[in-house]
Amino acid sequence: MIFEKRTERIVLAIFFVIALCIPLFLEDNSFFVGKVTTILILAVFVMSLDFLVGRVGLVTLGHALFYGLGGYLFVILTPEYEAVNFWVYAIYVMGISALVALVVGVVVLRTSGIYFIMITLAISQMVYYFFFDSLEFGGSDGLFIFMKPDTSIFGLSFLDLDNPSHFYYLSLLAVLITLVAIKIILRSRFGRIVEASRLNPERTEALGYNIFAFRLISYIIGSTLAAYAGLLFALQYGYVNPQFMTWEMSGTALVMSILGGMGTIYGAILGTITYEGLLYIFEHLSDDWMLFMGGSIILMVLLLRKGLAGYLEKLLEK
Amino acid sequence: MANDIILETESLSKHWGGIKALNDISLQFHDRQLHGVVGPNGAGKSTLLNMLCGTLQPTSGCIFHKGDQIEGMKPWKFVRRGIGRSFQKTNIYADVTCLENCAVAAQRRFAGSFNLFASRHANKLVREAAEKALHQVGLADRIHTIAAEISYGEQRQLELAMVLATDPCILLLDEPMAGMGHEESQRIIELLGQLKQTYSIVLVEHDMDAIFELSDQLTVLDNGTHLITGTVDEVRNDPRVKEAYLGKEDEEEEAA
Repeated sequence: MIFEKRTERIVLAIFFVIALCIPLFLEDNSFFVGKVTTILILAVFVMSLDFLVGRVGLVTLGHALFYGLGGYLFVILTPEYEAVNFWVYAIYVMGISALVALVVGVVVLRTSGIYFIMITLAISQMVYYFFFDSLEFGGSDGLFIFMKPDTSIFGLSFLDLDNPSHFYYLSLLAVLITLVAIKIILRSRFGRIVEASRLNPERTEALGYNIFAFRLISYIIGSTLAAYAGLLFALQYGYVNPQFMTWEMSGTALVMSILGGMGTIYGAILGTITYEGLLYIFEHLSDDWMLFMGGSIILMVLLLRKGLAGYLEKLLEK
Repeated sequence: MANDIILETESLSKHWGGIKALNDISLQFHDRQLHGVVGPNGAGKSTLLNMLCGTLQPTSGCIFHKGDQIEGMKPWKFVRRGIGRSFQKTNIYADVTCLENCAVAAQRRFAGSFNLFASRHANKLVREAAEKALHQVGLADRIHTIAAEISYGEQRQLELAMVLATDPCILLLDEPMAGMGHEESQRIIELLGQLKQTYSIVLVEHDMDAIFELSDQLTVLDNGTHLITGTVDEVRNDPRVKEAYLGKEDEEEEAA
C-alpha cells in the first residue's frame, strides 16, 4: 500500500468521491466546474512543489518557472491554426521541460540552503523577464491558444476539451496520476536515498551515494510535473502569459503546501482547496479580502503547526 | 607482505593557510589489523581520517587504495571502494528505524538505487544485510525501534552497524567510544576485537586502555607531525612519545 497512513486514505477517499461527483450534479454550472478544475490543476502544481520542498528538501522559490514553461512550450510548439494531438504534445512539452530542468538543476543544485532559494528565484525571474520583454512570445500579454487540441488515442476520442466536464476529468486524472506517481517514487529504493539525503546529507554521502544525482533526478521529476500542470492551466483558459511564472506564483504554492502540511503530498491537495476556497469567500465578502486572507493564513499556520494534514492525523491516527 | 596493504598515504599534508594541520604523513594500513592513531587534541587525527575517507582534500601528498591513487575523488567513490567511516559525533538518521538506517547503508551494494518503482521494502538482500549488521553490533532487539529513541551508547553501535552494512574492507573509526560508559565501551572493545579478524581498522580514540588493548600498529601524531609508528610496546617505550604525548596528558589531567 503506497498510502501508509489511515488519515491519508480517508482524506483521499472522501476527496475523490466528491471530486468525481461534482460535474455530475453541477453540469449546468460550468463556472463552478471550471473553478474547481483550476483548483485541481493547481493541486498538481502544489503537489509537485511539496515533493521537492517537503520530501527532497529542495526549498525552491522558482518552481513557477516550469509552470509557465509548460504553457509556453505548448503554444510555441503547436501550429497556430491546426488542432494537434493533446497526448503527443503533452509528451513533447514534458520532455523539453525535463531537459530544461536538467540544465537548470545542474546549476542550482550546486548550492544549498538560502543560496538555493536565491538562485532558483533569480533564474525564474530571469525567464519571467525574458518572456515579459520578448515581442515574438507576446510580451506581457502572452500567447493565445486558438485551437483546442484533440485528445484521441489511436483514433478513439473520449474527451472533448471544449466541454468543461471533460476538461475537469482530465484534470482530476492528472491529480490522481501525480499523487500516485509521487507516492510510488517516495516508497521506492530511489525514494529511500532521497529521504536519507534530506534527513542527513553528510551521512548519506558517507554511505557511498552521490546525492547530487538523486537530487537532480528528483528536481527533474518535480519540474516536469509542474510543467504538465502549467500546460493544463494554459489549455483551460486558452492563453499563457508571464504571470504564470511570477515568484508570487511560486510563493503562493509554497503557502498552500505549508497550509496543507509540508511533505505529506495529500496535504497539498487539502492546502490548495482551503486556500482557494478562502480566497473565493473573502473576495466576495469584502474589498479588503487580502487582509482577511493574510490574517487567516497566519492564524492557521500558528494553530496548525503541521498543517491541515498534521491536524487530521492527530485526530485520526490513534 | 606488501600486497596486504589496504590503504597507504605518501607524504600526506593538509595546510590551512599557514597552519600545518598535518605535515608529511606516510602510513600503511594492513589487512586484518587494527591500526590505532593517538595524539593530543589538535594533533591532526581527525584531519587524517577525513582525508582518508575523501571528505577533505589533501594540500599535497597521495593516498593509495590497493595500489590505486585515489586522493581527489569524491567521498562517495571512496565508500564504493570499501572505505567506510564512522563519525565522532553520532551521525545517524534519527527519525527512522534502526533497520532503515542500515538498509540505506546496505542498499547501494545490491544496485538499483535509481529504481523509481520497486518498493524499498521488496529487496530481501538489502533487508538481510541490514539485519546482519545490526546483529553484528548487538542491536538485534532494536531492529524496529526509531533511532532517536535508543540510548546514546546504542546509537554509537548503530553508527558502527551502518558502516558495516556498506560492506567495507577498511573501517575508519573516529572515537567510537566517545562519551560511553565503561560497560558500553567494553562491549565496543570486544566487538572491535572480533571485527579486526575480518577487516582492516583505523581507530582514532582517546581511551588509551582501549587503544593499547586493541592495536596491532600504533601511530602517534603530535602537532601535525608523525612521531612514531610501531607496536604498542615500541610506542610505549619511546622517549619522544613520553615527552610529547603522555607528558602532556598528565598536565591536562592535573589541570582538570
